[in-house]
Amino acid sequence: MFDYIINVSGYILEGSLITFQLYLVTAIFSVILGIAGALGKISKIPLLESILSFYTWVFRGTPLLLQLFFAYYGLPVLGITLQPFPAAALTFIVNYGAYFTEIFRGGIESINEGQYEAAKVLGMNYRQTMSRIIIPQTVKRILPATSNEAINLVKDSALVAVIGLGDLLRAAKVAVTRDFSIIPFIIAAVFYLIISSVIVTVFRKLEEKYSVYE
Amino acid sequence: MIKAKDIYKSFGELEVLSGISFEVEQGEAISIIGPSGSGKSTLLRSLIGLEEINSGELYIEGISVRESGKKAYQKMGMVFQGFNLFPHKTVMGNLIEAPLVVKGIKKSAAKENAAALLKKVGLSDKKDSYPAQLSGGQKQRVAIARALAMEPDIMLFDEPTSSLDPELVGEVLTVIRDLAEENITMLIVTHEMGFARDVSDRVFFMDHGQIISDTVPEKIFVNPESERIQNFLTKILSQN
Repeated sequence: MFDYIINVSGYILEGSLITFQLYLVTAIFSVILGIAGALGKISKIPLLESILSFYTWVFRGTPLLLQLFFAYYGLPVLGITLQPFPAAALTFIVNYGAYFTEIFRGGIESINEGQYEAAKVLGMNYRQTMSRIIIPQTVKRILPATSNEAINLVKDSALVAVIGLGDLLRAAKVAVTRDFSIIPFIIAAVFYLIISSVIVTVFRKLEEKYSVYE
Repeated sequence: MIKAKDIYKSFGELEVLSGISFEVEQGEAISIIGPSGSGKSTLLRSLIGLEEINSGELYIEGISVRESGKKAYQKMGMVFQGFNLFPHKTVMGNLIEAPLVVKGIKKSAAKENAAALLKKVGLSDKKDSYPAQLSGGQKQRVAIARALAMEPDIMLFDEPTSSLDPELVGEVLTVIRDLAEENITMLIVTHEMGFARDVSDRVFFMDHGQIISDTVPEKIFVNPESERIQNFLTKILSQN
């Protein structure tokens, strides 16, 4: 029994490699996309604002699973064929980028106008004002919402099993079918809980760090 | 030092500055008083480019704002009613931010300069505090030091004591008074009449977007010519 748990855990751990990779790639690029999207949304350039509003409307208003199917099964119809991992990564980045665009935009807009004025009278330009005064203050305010998304992403990553990516969940399911045992699912659940807990802890530490100034 | 000629400014339909002209000499301390809505703050904000004027000519140390606004604005520092300190930075961080980023001076030099300024405003012991840990009066003194860190030739104060509890007003006024004695050119929008009278070389009385009186303090406070000024002073002084 013990040996079986160790064996299956090893097998599921191999699957979780894909989950980790997807998580990392999505986290990095969707945050970058979110910052760019938020800056675009507050840019007061009407065309850019409209395009970005359409983008967040579509990607926040349709199921992630649909978007995943679209990228993997839909795009080949249009002659664009993606391997499972790139298709999954692209979908997740664009989807989470839409959420982060709105979260970051809200954070930036919550900063008092006086902060821009103070920076301006001190001679700071737009780039300096945003990067040194506004965005650092935004970070503290968006941490709770970002933390939620970070946990959602752990769970959403399991969706990639449906396009045949051998992630954590798929590995567990394969083991369940192969061994006719429920234990792999329990192990998978424990893995997800561990990952989520680590993320919660990281964000709690961040929130503590940023709470020094208010 | 400052030369303003026929400045007009509207917010939509509402004309806030209606033909403002004045000159300020090096080292002068000017108080700007008048009823609320008379355009005092808008005038100050226009001088440093926080508001764009609709017409008129503005020269700061001979530099035309129209031609090279940024260069002209750099000669000035500003202190706000609401402090506008950077909450995520310590007091020291607030003071060295612009010297480091805008002027590009060395961190050690910026810190040394900042420490001297904090000593001047009596807050040396607060250099590692965050703004949220300070009282209103302390915040405003930090804000003054932060503006001074950029070594401006002209300081603009926009109602620097209006959001302070009465018992904290004095400490801020003392700092501004000290600056006046150092002959820094200053324009101060204020409701503190006693202070305006003691500190200023000249007082502008504004009403309906115009400077209706530009004279020495005695003339306004001891012997006001216009009925409008008399009424205003009676009202303000009876409130205090």
